[in-house]
Amino acid sequence: MNHTAPLGLPVVHLVDDEAVVREALGWLLRTRRLLSEPHASGEAFEAWLAAHAAVLEGAPSCLLLDMRMPGGMSGLQLFERLIERRLLDVLPVIFLSGHGDVATAVAAIQRGAFDFVEKPFSDNALVDRIERALAASRVALERRRERAALRERLAELTEREREVMQLVVDGRPNKLIADALAISVRTVEVHRARVFEKMGVKSAVELANVLREA
Amino acid sequence: MRETAYPMLPTALDTDAMVEPAALSPAEPPAARWRRVLPWALLVLLLGVAQTLLFVLTLQYERDREQERTELTAASAAADVRQRFAHDLQSLQALLWNEPGVDAGRADAAELLRARRELLRIEWRDAGQRIEQALESPYRGPLYDLLPREALDGDTEAACAAALRQTGPVWSRSYFVPKLGGLGIEVIDVCLPIGRGGSLRGVMAATLALGAVIDEAVGADTARTHELSFVEGDGTRLARAGMSRGAGVYVAERLVDLPGVTLALRVDSAERGPRFIPNLATSLVLGLSLALAAVVALLAVDVRRRAAAEARLAEELALRRAMEDSLVTGLRARDLAGRITYVNPAFCTMVGFSAEQLIGRTVPPYWPPEMRSAYEARHAQRLARGVPAHEQREGHETVFMRAGGERFPVLIFEAPLIGAAGRQTGWMSAVLDLSAQRRVEELSRLQQEQLQATARLATVGEMASLLSHELNQPLAAIASYATGSLNLIGGDRADAPTLAMLREATQRIAEQAARAGRVIKSVQDFVRRRERHREVVGCDELVDAVLPLLRLQARKSGTRIDLRLDDPAPRALCDRTMVEQVLLNLTRNAIQAMDGQPPEARVLEIAVRGSGGWVRVDVADRGPGIAPEVAARLFTPFFTTKPEGMGLGLSLCRTVIEQHGGALDFENLRDAAGRVLGTRFRFTLPEAAASAAPTVAEEAAA
Repeated sequence: MNHTAPLGLPVVHLVDDEAVVREALGWLLRTRRLLSEPHASGEAFEAWLAAHAAVLEGAPSCLLLDMRMPGGMSGLQLFERLIERRLLDVLPVIFLSGHGDVATAVAAIQRGAFDFVEKPFSDNALVDRIERALAASRVALERRRERAALRERLAELTEREREVMQLVVDGRPNKLIADALAISVRTVEVHRARVFEKMGVKSAVELANVLREA
Repeated sequence: MRETAYPMLPTALDTDAMVEPAALSPAEPPAARWRRVLPWALLVLLLGVAQTLLFVLTLQYERDREQERTELTAASAAADVRQRFAHDLQSLQALLWNEPGVDAGRADAAELLRARRELLRIEWRDAGQRIEQALESPYRGPLYDLLPREALDGDTEAACAAALRQTGPVWSRSYFVPKLGGLGIEVIDVCLPIGRGGSLRGVMAATLALGAVIDEAVGADTARTHELSFVEGDGTRLARAGMSRGAGVYVAERLVDLPGVTLALRVDSAERGPRFIPNLATSLVLGLSLALAAVVALLAVDVRRRAAAEARLAEELALRRAMEDSLVTGLRARDLAGRITYVNPAFCTMVGFSAEQLIGRTVPPYWPPEMRSAYEARHAQRLARGVPAHEQREGHETVFMRAGGERFPVLIFEAPLIGAAGRQTGWMSAVLDLSAQRRVEELSRLQQEQLQATARLATVGEMASLLSHELNQPLAAIASYATGSLNLIGGDRADAPTLAMLREATQRIAEQAARAGRVIKSVQDFVRRRERHREVVGCDELVDAVLPLLRLQARKSGTRIDLRLDDPAPRALCDRTMVEQVLLNLTRNAIQAMDGQPPEARVLEIAVRGSGGWVRVDVADRGPGIAPEVAARLFTPFFTTKPEGMGLGLSLCRTVIEQHGGALDFENLRDAAGRVLGTRFRFTLPEAAASAAPTVAEEAAA
């Protein structure tokens, strides 16, 4: 996968059993120049997710989820699935609730939902929240990409280089590292230079920071 | 004494039995009375007999003793007299030895006459009875002054002749020597033959006064207390002596035998017959002592029995008291004037006043002031007509007031209190405190109401939820389209695609608005469907249906219900259930409006009148009225002044009434000065034509 490719256009997923609401919201988002993807039910969204898993990695997205959808998977059930799949950071969930089930919504927020909006909503305010959610999704995607890159670089290191790197991050001088690994100081210096080059850092401190993020 | 004399306890319950125990006796059967009286009669009779016997015996004893004493006196007197005669005879015989000279004899005889006062005269006679010489007692005059000696010589001669014959002293019969002035002396002669050398030469006759003999012979003591007399065989007294007259009660006679004659000496004691009073007193004292002893004995027995009866009574009393005290039912007794004569502890606890505060009161402090006149009227009615039988059985409910002013409902069973004499002395009431029962009823009613309210609320809530969901969708869509349109218009781009989008949005808005309208219409349809439930209902039935619930509430708050209903009751064409609900709502509001008023001012008026094709129903309270700012919003849905209210009551009421074609309004009632007296709610319903649906009564009449 190409982690360096630029992120795609943000997509807003709408999950509501009411076609009217889906259409109206989609139309509204268009007036704010946002792409939207309507889904008629929780099951429909899951199916789409199974088919287009990679899309979520490629562009920031968020999910507007109706809390109560008679007949079929409820909003909360879908939310549980997303938690299981650790998708909440790249796919922030905004709950739509129509019947004052505020307590349920608060519980959902505590479990990681991004926000919840009561129907009937003030639409532009909703769109503002959607944009904040998309921004959060973008940040999360970028961090995911950085971590993936780091993991790739670490994978390129040899066994010896990894040992040397560990001791360098621990803060040992080259001489002590040479003693510990029973190799010459010169060899340590060679390994160290190669680790720095592979990890794309210039100092031991920078290396430690990069590793901590990973 | 009377063990059966306690048919009823003499507690305060039965004042009659306490103050008039004598009233018990008329109820006793005659046999019992006899049984009770007979011992006393026997006792009195016995006492009388004993008393009399004792008295008689005492008299007898005294009489016998006195008689005996008199006999003794008589015996001793007779002996003394006999001895005196013997002495006199001896002394006379001694004169005979003076021989030969008569002169010497005369001197001795004179001396003898001086010594012996009973000797009156000594005669010496020759053999031929001629008196030779005679000497008279110096103490008296001549003996034969009235009559000559010869006139009275018969007895002497006979005695002297006998003496000469027998050659021994012989006493003559006594004879009377009359003296001057009709007096006289009874005397007796004794003849002594004078012997001389073996031959008799004469006799000496001495005359003795019989009375003096006794005087001399008998001691002064005897003479002082007795009358002594010689009597003849026929009782004729010959001579008497003694200082007093005999009483003639104790008389004894003794014979004094003398040679030639026998005299009877009668002793008559001066002692009178036994005296009545001292003897009576003695016997009375004795008898009464006996009676006293008997009575004391009886009393002791009685005291023991009474003590036993009292112990039983005390035990019984304690048992009754324990029973009374353990009762939770209040007991109250009143006399015919309505004065409280008794209350038990349970009653005191119930009303919170002590027995001292209650007993004797005609207007008890537990009567709520606002009910007083009604209770007094009730009491007067009860006095006049007694307690109806069904009320005795089922009791009647009323309201009492505790010491703290709290009103509470009670159930009273009242029965006439019949005294021991069989007369009614008052009323006995058992009083049950119903407040606990009422609380339970109230609680269950509240629960029922809450349940109903909850059920209604659930229905309303569900409907509201459904409605909000149904309406939310189109509204949300409309809002989205509108916002989006504004977004587009704000962009100032009037190009073709934007216009197309705007057109689409507007079209969608119209669609969604129509959808929302359909939802609303369906609700209206639902409401309208109820109109089909119209029927002809008598307004009395409507009122009767809500009255039980209403009374329950009214009783709790102490509200009086004033119901005025046209007779015959007007009939309305309406949805019965809905109108009942309206009536209930209005009356409940009215009662609640009077919560702040004093209990006596809590009156709920319900008036139903039919006129001009409409039935008019007024529900008026005496509350504080409705403030203008409240009045303005009174029928607004979801407006309420009650913390637990939903605010649907009055608005629904108005809707219901208006659906019937009637009107619901209200006004504050004011007096002439413009002060608010209360609030009146009035609603109208179409009156059913009489011919449309005749009632059963009319059918029967036709």
